[in-house]
Amino acid sequence: MAALGARRLLRQGWRWFSQAEPAGLSAPPSPLYPPVVASMTAKSKAAKQRRLERFKERVHAAATVEEKLRLYGKLQRPKYVLYPQTFALNADRWYRSFTNTAFVPGLPPIAAFPKAPGAAPEACRAPEAGAEAPDAAKTPEAAAGAAQYLDMGELRSLTCDALLQESFYQNKKQPFLYREQDHTPGPFLTQLVSTLASFLSGRNPLLAASSFDLKPKVNYYWQHGEEVVVHGHRKGRVDPVRFQIDDNPHVQIRVPKQLPEVVPLESDLGDVPVINHKPSKLPLFKRQYENKVFIGSKVADPCCYGHTQFHLIPDKLKRERLIKKGLEDQIEVVYRSNGIASLFAWTAAQAMYQGFWSEADVTRPFVSQAVVTDGRYFSFFCYQLNTLALTAETIKNNPRKNICWGTESKPLYDVLEAGNVKGFNDEVLLHLVHFLLNRPKEL
Amino acid sequence: YPLFQKGGPQLRIFRPNFFMLVVRPGVPQPEDTVQFRVSMEMTKLDIRNYLERIYNVPVAAVRTRIQYGANNKRNHKNQREKKPDYKVAYVQLGQGQTFQFPNLFPEKEQDTETPSFDDFRNKYVEKEKQKQEGDPRRGGVPDWFGL
Repeated sequence: MAALGARRLLRQGWRWFSQAEPAGLSAPPSPLYPPVVASMTAKSKAAKQRRLERFKERVHAAATVEEKLRLYGKLQRPKYVLYPQTFALNADRWYRSFTNTAFVPGLPPIAAFPKAPGAAPEACRAPEAGAEAPDAAKTPEAAAGAAQYLDMGELRSLTCDALLQESFYQNKKQPFLYREQDHTPGPFLTQLVSTLASFLSGRNPLLAASSFDLKPKVNYYWQHGEEVVVHGHRKGRVDPVRFQIDDNPHVQIRVPKQLPEVVPLESDLGDVPVINHKPSKLPLFKRQYENKVFIGSKVADPCCYGHTQFHLIPDKLKRERLIKKGLEDQIEVVYRSNGIASLFAWTAAQAMYQGFWSEADVTRPFVSQAVVTDGRYFSFFCYQLNTLALTAETIKNNPRKNICWGTESKPLYDVLEAGNVKGFNDEVLLHLVHFLLNRPKEL
Repeated sequence: YPLFQKGGPQLRIFRPNFFMLVVRPGVPQPEDTVQFRVSMEMTKLDIRNYLERIYNVPVAAVRTRIQYGANNKRNHKNQREKKPDYKVAYVQLGQGQTFQFPNLFPEKEQDTETPSFDDFRNKYVEKEKQKQEGDPRRGGVPDWFGL
């Protein structure tokens, strides 16, 4: 044993009492043993981290966006299903906390009224728009650059035509029980949007190249926060909280170019509510099915950016029903939760179609618009997606928030009498038209 | 009892067993949610009317579920003993009201002047110990030997 010990002491390269090596020696020899890393299959936190890292590397290294989406939504587990049109009380506050969104009442100045460097006369009773000169009521002058001449009379007549056609001129039978929204306001909305879009496509070349979807599907799957599994064979483990939105807007417009950003990426315009209760107290229920991410068309479609969505409030959440139940303050909540949830799902799905995901956060903001209506009252929403990083690890050092601008619901008209539309509101129509005219600055 | 639907006969029930017991929630609930144990025959409409008409509490939403009582315990005759089922109602209050279940057993501050039971017991234990010890003048030496 002593001989072995002595031989070990005299082994090559074993220097106990040697001097320090002179500087500038050759490069250290390549390591003899592979790096010491955690196991891949053990039941330990380090092994779990290693598996997560391997999954993230696989997604980062995926060649195509379809492959990325397939790997992202491959593992199916029970998830909370969010409904944008929900009867839950104060749902918009919960949805804002799930999607890390700050809500700003009112519309941003860009979407509300497009900037007009010269005098932008409009042949309508000129509203209180911006700092237009009092001569806005005159006929179009030869302003510097393109004169934006909006024929309000023509637009108003188009709208009234659509309204009266659906409700008065066309002979329809009585609507079936609880199907009033599909009977009149639904067809009116599609007719209105299609006629306005085709009328304004001459003005806005983006609309001419857009894709007009009827009853499309919009899906998005994401993870936000962590919880402990309560019962089952996985009891006691810490799991991310998964959400899924499956939305059916009434009509949507998709465009090949992205809308310009409203505010810079890192801006802070409000607070995100923090809710410490479990999402199931909303009430929200869990289900397990396909983790789908979809904007309304597949990845290869050239119109991969969103422009405007139009949502119709269903019969269950109509104004009259909520008033009868005594929930007047929830009327606006319905519109807001619909706007926030649908727009978040749409913009986030658009971002995923461009290859971003929670580990690869967006480098430019994604902007979309939505109009939520029940046939008579209209609310306008504009959403800017600044961050996709909502998981428990990525949200820790993430200062960015998503921002949603929204208005209260305003009526388009007061009363529909036989052959006449009483109390038409031009402001709502103006908002709608400006939404449709929104386009990137290059066009 | 059958629920009333339009066109059906209006049945009346006299002296129904409708009770509502407010309980502390086992898991934390949002601020506007109150948890009740109610009679098994009560429906959501009954709960809403009960609270609104009798207690003038504005109710925004009611959700109910039935909790199954377990049937696994056995008595001395090896017969299964059933714990009774009960219905739980989660009521969300309207008009922005909130409710927090009160703490029914708050910690009482100890009064140093009035002697409590613990002090009495400590004194008794000290007296007993002193009886056990022997004469202090012997310096701890036991007295079973010597004079």
